[in-house]
Parts: sequence; C-alpha cells; structure tokens
Amino acid sequence: MLRVKQLSKFFNGFAAVKEVSFQANGGEIFGLLGPNGAGKTTTIRVIATVLTPTSGTAEVASFDILKAPEKVRQNLGLLTSEIGLYDRFTARENLRYFGNLYGLAGQALEDRIDYLVEILDMQKFADRRAGKFSTGMKQKVAIARSIIHDPKVIIFDEPTAGLDVLASQTVIDYMQTARKEGKLVVLSTHDMAHAQKLCDRVAIMHQGKIIAVDSQAKIYQQTQADNLEDAFLKILGADAAKSALKAKEAFELRWLSKKHKRFGL
Amino acid sequence: MNKVFTVFKKEILDSLRDRRTLLTAVVMPIVLMPAIMIGSVKFQEAQITKAAEKPVLLAVENQQSAPTLLDFLNKQKQVELKQVENFDQGIEAGTINVYLNVETDFEANLKTQKPTEVRVVQKSSNVDSSTAYSKVINLLQAFNQEQARIRLSQKGLATETLSALKPVSVDIATAQERGGFFIGLLLPMFIVVFAIAGGMYIAIDVSAGEKERKTLEALLLSPASRLQLVAGKFAAVAATASASIILSMFSLYFAFKFFPPKFGTEVVEINLTLGAIGIMLLVGVIMAIMFSGLLLSVAIFAKSYKEAQNYITPFYLLAILPVAIFAQLPGLKPSLGMFFIPGVNAVFVMKEVLIKTFDSAHIFITFGSLIIYAVIAVIAASKIYSKEGILFRD
Ligand SMILES: Nc1ncnc2c1ncn2[C@@H]1O[C@H](COP(=O)(O)OP(=O)(O)O)[C@@H](O)[C@H]1O
Ligand SMILES: [Mg+2]
Repeated sequence: MLRVKQLSKFFNGFAAVKEVSFQANGGEIFGLLGPNGAGKTTTIRVIATVLTPTSGTAEVASFDILKAPEKVRQNLGLLTSEIGLYDRFTARENLRYFGNLYGLAGQALEDRIDYLVEILDMQKFADRRAGKFSTGMKQKVAIARSIIHDPKVIIFDEPTAGLDVLASQTVIDYMQTARKEGKLVVLSTHDMAHAQKLCDRVAIMHQGKIIAVDSQAKIYQQTQADNLEDAFLKILGADAAKSALKAKEAFELRWLSKKHKRFGL
Repeated sequence: MNKVFTVFKKEILDSLRDRRTLLTAVVMPIVLMPAIMIGSVKFQEAQITKAAEKPVLLAVENQQSAPTLLDFLNKQKQVELKQVENFDQGIEAGTINVYLNVETDFEANLKTQKPTEVRVVQKSSNVDSSTAYSKVINLLQAFNQEQARIRLSQKGLATETLSALKPVSVDIATAQERGGFFIGLLLPMFIVVFAIAGGMYIAIDVSAGEKERKTLEALLLSPASRLQLVAGKFAAVAATASASIILSMFSLYFAFKFFPPKFGTEVVEINLTLGAIGIMLLVGVIMAIMFSGLLLSVAIFAKSYKEAQNYITPFYLLAILPVAIFAQLPGLKPSLGMFFIPGVNAVFVMKEVLIKTFDSAHIFITFGSLIIYAVIAVIAASKIYSKEGILFRD
C-alpha cells in the first residue's frame, strides 16, 4: 500500500533524506524509527506531497506522489507532530471544515464525525471551542481530523509526544483498531518502548538513510538483542562506526592528495 | 469551486468570531470614519462662525463729544460698547479690543462739515485687537458714507455721484467644488486607508495565523489544491475589505444626509447621486481586491501575527504615502500618468466624481490599471503559496 522508491530530499544542498526505499502493506503497523533529525518527518512530508522530492518517488495506495498528488492526499491520513486547531471553532466545526475539504458533506459527514467523537472519547468537549483545549484534547481532535476521510494509509508522526498515559493509550488503541480494519499504519517515533509494543515491521533511519528494514524478530536475531531499544542502539552504533571510518578514509585521501600536489606529483 | 467556497465560508465565519477583525473591518468604518469626517467639518464650521460672530469690544474715549457717532455705533450688531477707566489697560486685559479717541469739537465739526481726526487705537500684536481693528475701520467707512449720503441729499445730489466703480466679488468655485475640495481630499484618503485596514487582520489571520496556530500543514494535506486554498482565502479577504469600504461609504452618506456640512452660510452640496456613489464604490471595491492580494502575499512570509504586522506596516505606509502627498497638493492637475498609480488614481477619480468634473479617460485608466494590478496580486499570492520554503520556514 505504500512504496517508497529511492526517495531523496535536499534543503539547499543539505540531504535530509538520502535514497530511502521501503514498502509497507495493509494490516500492519510499520515503524519508522530514528533519533531526532534523522529525516523521518521530511520523508513523511514528501510522501504526503506537502514537500516535493529532489529525486525518487513514492506510491500511496498505487497513486504516485508526483503524478497524482491529489489522489495521494485523498487516500492518506497524516497526523503531524504539530496539532494546531482553529481556536475559534468547536471540535466538531474543525472536523466539519476538513471533512468538506476532503469532499465529504451532509449526513454522511455528520455520521462520520459522530463515530470519531465516540471512538476517540470526545463527547465531553466536542461542542466546545478549541481555544482552551488541553494537549490531550487537541491531540484527539487532530487524530480525528487526520482520519476524517477514512484513508487507507495512516501515518502518525510522534503521536504520543507530550501526551499523558491516558491520552497515549487512546492513540495506541486507535492504531490497533485501524490495523484490524486492514489499514496500513505507519508510526514515526523515537520512542522505542511504544514501537516495540505496536510495530510488526520497522525501518531504522539515521542521518537521512534507512539502515535497516525488517520484522522485529529478524532485527533481534541480527543484532542479538532482546528489545528494540538495544537493537536500535547497536544498529546505530554500527552505522556511526561505519560513517566514522568513511570520514577518516576520506580525510586521509584528501590529505594524501594534498601532499601529492605539494610535492608536484 | 466547491472547495474554494468551503475555504471562503470558513474564513469569513472565523473572522466574524474574531474581535480584532470585527473591530477594524466593521465597527471602525461605520463609526470612526463618519465621526472624524463630521467632526472635522463641524469643527471648521464652528471656527468660521465663531470668528464671524464675535462682536468687537469697543470703547470711546471722550464719548460725550460725539453723540452722533455713538448713536451709529450703538446700532451696529457687531459692536459691543464698553465703559473702561483706563483704555490702554483695557486692551491689555481684553475687556476691550479697540478704542476710539475723539476730539472735543467732533460734533461741532460734523455740523459744519469739517473733517475731524478720530484715532483708532489697537494693539497689533494682539490677534483679537487687530481683527477688531479692521472691522472698526470698515464701520467708520460706513459712517463716512452715511454722512456723505445725508450731505449730498441736502444738496439734491444722489449718492452714486461719489462712486467711480462698484466692485462685485464673484467666486467661480461652485458650492460643490468647495465641498468637493474638502470632501474630495479626506474621503478618498480614508477609503484608501480602509481598503487596507479592513482586510489587514483577516489577511494575517488566514496566512501567518495558520502558521502560528500550526494548522497550515493539515490544510495543505487536504486534497484541495494550493490555488483553491489561496482563492478561497483571497475571496474572504477581498470580501471583508470590500464590505469595510461599502459600510464606511454608506455610513458616511447617511451622516452627510443628516448633518449636511455648512461653510459660512451656504449648505455645501456634494455630488452624491447614484451614479457617483456607484463609481466610487466600484473604484473602492477594486482597490480593496488589489490590496487584499498584496496583503495576502506579504503576510504569508511571516510566521506569526507580530511578524506579519511588522511586514505590513511599511507596505501600508508605501501605499498611503503617495496618496497623502498627491492629495494634499493644492490645485494639482493630475497628469494622465498619475492614474496608473494605485491608490492615487482612486483618490483622484473619487475627487473628480464628487465635484462632477470627471473625465471618462481617467475613470477608464483607473479601472483598467486597478484590475490588472489586482490580477497580478492574486497570481503572485498563489505562486508564493506554492513555494515550500515559505510555508515550512522553521
Ligand atoms: N524546511 C526545512 N528546511 C531546512 N532544513 C530542514 C527543513 N526541515 C527539516 N530540515 C532538516 O532536515 C533534517 C531532518 O529533519 P526531520 O525530517 O524533521 O527529522 P526527524 O523528524 O527525524 O526528527 C534536520 O537536520 C532538519 O534540520
Ligand atoms: Mg520529526
């Protein structure tokens, strides 16, 4: 349902995402893991068509992000790490606006909003203006907003950051429900505990590159670790050592070539 | 098209719930503009009447020697005769403005038709005194003329024999022009101000506001295209700015209907026919549309309300400055080129319409250039909204 092919994104010459490729299918929770600044959010934004790729492409529900961006957006629900709402609108009004933008209207939209209010437990504040909502309340409305159009692919970017245990649990429950419904859920996070509990397969990202993609079991096997956090640190450590070696080699090469020049060779 | 309307509807509703927009776009033009306009007209009126009606405080030294003159002065409405002990001190203290000093043989000389000196004492450094002085001189001239008439008629001659010419003052400015000069200056200035101010808050709210509230990304994730989003937002800003202008014009129209401005004694008639109002509204609305596109383009560069206001302030001055300069220049005949300057052209067209001296070429150039600028502004805004660097500037 999601295919990412050799995707790169540069910001003024800085490579935030480098030739990233992976695939994920319906009925699974796929973890996109990595430390802060790894390039997870940038990868997601390119997939969601709000940024254009520098090279490579991706397909969401068989629609290409370059050729059919509007179809991609129609089939993708993205919960961004920023969960702003329109303060002067109630929770329901916020949802209704986005429902309209996704082409929903009338009774069908009202039913969908009622359903989301119920499963996300928002009855108490659904008709209050969002200006004074707590982070947890805002997060719930933001989740409802991202899936208002019942998309096939759902991407959650750091969905539990800044939430208390109860609010986090609502998010986690929803992800499991969506998996049961046969949707693809991509969870981008640096929280290994949540990822270990939820993800079927994971991709580990570091400095813009994917350095491992596999099921949790296989990753433990390869790294001889028994939890995701250790595995993650080992993989990251190996990658860091590799890139340190590369940097050293590059430096030595440069130094050598300089020396050669100096001696007129 | 549906999505454009969805965005439009949402932004209008949102700004109706925003006190700042409501205040600048609705309350201010309805209340403030007529208040300032009527206020300044009434103030000017009051100044004129006050100066005209203030009587001269006059004393006559040695007054028992001049009963005929005293009798004449008593009959003058503009004169209030005073008794004082010390005449010079009276002027200093303001109890009198001017005093006359007559000779003891004044009445006798009058009878024998010999001219007598009358000293008119003023203090030229005192404004009240010097103003009163010229009025008194005029009155003494009138007294002279009256005496001359009496003497001539005693000799069987008509008064006219004394006059070689008779100056008649004619002012070729019609009442409309005099009103138009005043109204044609302030009113269009205000309309340019409201064309910007009315749309300012909503323009910031729909662009920089989306960034500050962190709702922009969710919006860009929806299947609505950038052009649809910009079009909806633009329509909302333009509608608000236009509404602001229309409200201020109607409010002003009724204000002048109920409190017609007067200059001196004449009621100034302003050209407020349906056609004139129609042209002014149209110019105002097109100008509002153009400024809306510009405001939207400027505000999207900002990350917050504060920053957006910082960007808009110089833009505001840039738009108002040429208007302020050109509209103030007295007797300036605008060249054809000036009708290409946005804002300035609107001011001149409105002024011309108000005083009924309009030129259809001017109106045509103004409409044409404003529409072209508006189109450019809208295209620029939608181009800017497609630049990811501006939308995701951290
Ligand atoms: N709009 C942008 N302009 C320039 N650099 C950016 C932009 N967005 C992200 N970056 C950079 O790209 C890198 C990856 O960022 P991001 O994708 O947000 O990482 P993550 O989500 O994994 O923490 C970071 O070094 C970040 O500073
Ligand atoms: Mg991130």
